[in-house]
Amino acid sequence: MSTVSPRRTTTAQTADDLIAGLREGLPNGEIPVGLFGNEDIYRRELRSLFGRCWVFLGHESEIAAKGDYVLRKIGEDNFVVVRDEEGEIHVLFDACRHRGVQVCRADSGNTSHFRCPYHGWTYNTRGELIGAPLWQNAFGGMNKAENGLASAAQVASYHGLIFATLDPTAPPLEEYLGGMAWYLDLVFGLNEHGIEVLGPPQRFVIDANWKSGADNFSGDDYHLGTLHRSVWEIGAFPVPFRENMMGYHVQASPGHSLSFSMAATDDEPGPKFFGYPDDLVETFNSERISEHQLEIARRSRVFVGNIFPNFSILALPMTEDGLNHPPTGVLTIRTWQPAGPGHVEVWNWFAAYKNMTPEQKDRAYHAGLGTFSMGGSFEMDDTEPWSTVGRTGRSVSAELLGFKLNYQMGMPGIGISRPVDEWPGPGVVYWPRYEEGVQRNLYRFYLGMMEAEPGEWPALSFGGGNGSGAA
Amino acid sequence: MIDVTTATKVLPGSELYAEAVDWLHTEAELLDNGREREWLEELISPEIAYRLPLRQTVERARGAGFADRTHHLDETYGSLATRVARNETAYAWAEDPPSRMRHFVTNIRVHDVDDHTLKVVSNLLIYRTRSDQTRPELFSGERHDVLRRDDRGRLQLVERTVYLDQTVIGTRNLALFF
Repeated sequence: MSTVSPRRTTTAQTADDLIAGLREGLPNGEIPVGLFGNEDIYRRELRSLFGRCWVFLGHESEIAAKGDYVLRKIGEDNFVVVRDEEGEIHVLFDACRHRGVQVCRADSGNTSHFRCPYHGWTYNTRGELIGAPLWQNAFGGMNKAENGLASAAQVASYHGLIFATLDPTAPPLEEYLGGMAWYLDLVFGLNEHGIEVLGPPQRFVIDANWKSGADNFSGDDYHLGTLHRSVWEIGAFPVPFRENMMGYHVQASPGHSLSFSMAATDDEPGPKFFGYPDDLVETFNSERISEHQLEIARRSRVFVGNIFPNFSILALPMTEDGLNHPPTGVLTIRTWQPAGPGHVEVWNWFAAYKNMTPEQKDRAYHAGLGTFSMGGSFEMDDTEPWSTVGRTGRSVSAELLGFKLNYQMGMPGIGISRPVDEWPGPGVVYWPRYEEGVQRNLYRFYLGMMEAEPGEWPALSFGGGNGSGAA
Repeated sequence: MIDVTTATKVLPGSELYAEAVDWLHTEAELLDNGREREWLEELISPEIAYRLPLRQTVERARGAGFADRTHHLDETYGSLATRVARNETAYAWAEDPPSRMRHFVTNIRVHDVDDHTLKVVSNLLIYRTRSDQTRPELFSGERHDVLRRDDRGRLQLVERTVYLDQTVIGTRNLALFF
């Protein structure tokens, strides 16, 4: 592969240099490695991506009752996600309007109010200032209504998944999700009960850039054969590597990508509906979704996808103990929270359909915990390469050598993957999964967001339908 | 969980206390030297319940913040055996090359539950470095163990709950045994 001409300056690369390098390299499947470690580009991501995009904060089942709250993050900053006395969900910036002090001091709970520990300014669960000690003496005459907690510009849910954006110019959530909504429907909307999360999220910090997670979950199926080879030796996953590469890569809409493991023909044996138990599958129907969506879910062994920028979803059959338990459908949702250019805080939830029996939920939880968690047989290996991607991303040598990463799998003339013309859903689709267009789609939208002026938005759909726009 | 209120405290200096301490030290030696299969087969009961509960920051009135049913690890003998088997494959990248690891076990409190059962509480500090790290990864916590004699009179671990002193885990994996 080509390298750009080596740099001949004594100063570090800037975000502008890297964005120019991405613009130049992307059509040829090349990405400057500095995206994974450069301090300047990270600072711009916090403003241009996390300061503008719809980001995932939690699931409605975590704050089911009035007054329930959880403390979550947009970028590096804490926000209280709280259900008020009328049942409405608010996303409040965790900083007192008086001196900027944190007002929510627990990770979760139930409350009627948030009181600042410094001077006692007190807010209700709508974020409204309701008082402070000796109010008349101290603040009598001041306008309370203008001194509530700051809140996210927009809040919305889809299938109970709570998102917020700090940008008042952001398009509505469903428009932002674009074609991805169709695919979320067939993961989360298979029956009228929907899903719930199983307990609070695991949180762990690894020395990697947040994009390594988003990039991987956009559809990096090929890494299973090497990095995760141990899981076949211990019987944790039932579909052999080569067979598992069969399926579809989908660029659902700009930025959002996903991948299905699916047998070439319907009569091949193997898991259906992500390996969910048969009596759960009997409750799946097409009342909320189309027959096409139901059929795709039925034939799917694995769903993996990422909603730009940092929210990932994975459904697949797994077991933590192959000798005693057959693989069963596991559903994990997670965010890759930026925590500096070289660190990511992973938040990992397990979820289940609400109408599963307690025993089925318990089995799915244990299968997930033993495989897709920081102590799980799948995930524990992921952090090994990701931490050294970050090291290369910070490398002066990489910068001086004009080092670029290769994302060329499946481009014209490379490998066997081909565009699919007959596909009932939205987006740009390839078969089989030997291709990295799903990740190029992530970085193409990333480029659009990083280059956009305040108030401007890159295209949220591919326009002319399948085959146009994205390659 | 064993009810400690009905158990008798075993004082340092007694033979039973010394046996419990020696068991913990032997276990640490096996784990620090990568002898996971010996650890599993010699010291772990087939009935084992091995848990590392998830912890959150909560207000004092709600206690220490440990979740009831949500964990970082929640293991049976079968899943522990699967972990050991995984580490024996040629593709267990998370611990190959292995970390340097040291279990420090202190503040050991032993309770005699019945003729063949001990409850042992200990403080645990694990020091780990990977590749060329100079700053160690540290885990600090309290272990609540139940040791039971098998039919050959050997003490085996039947229950372990590890209460970590962290809500956000600051390490790249939990590919180790506590």
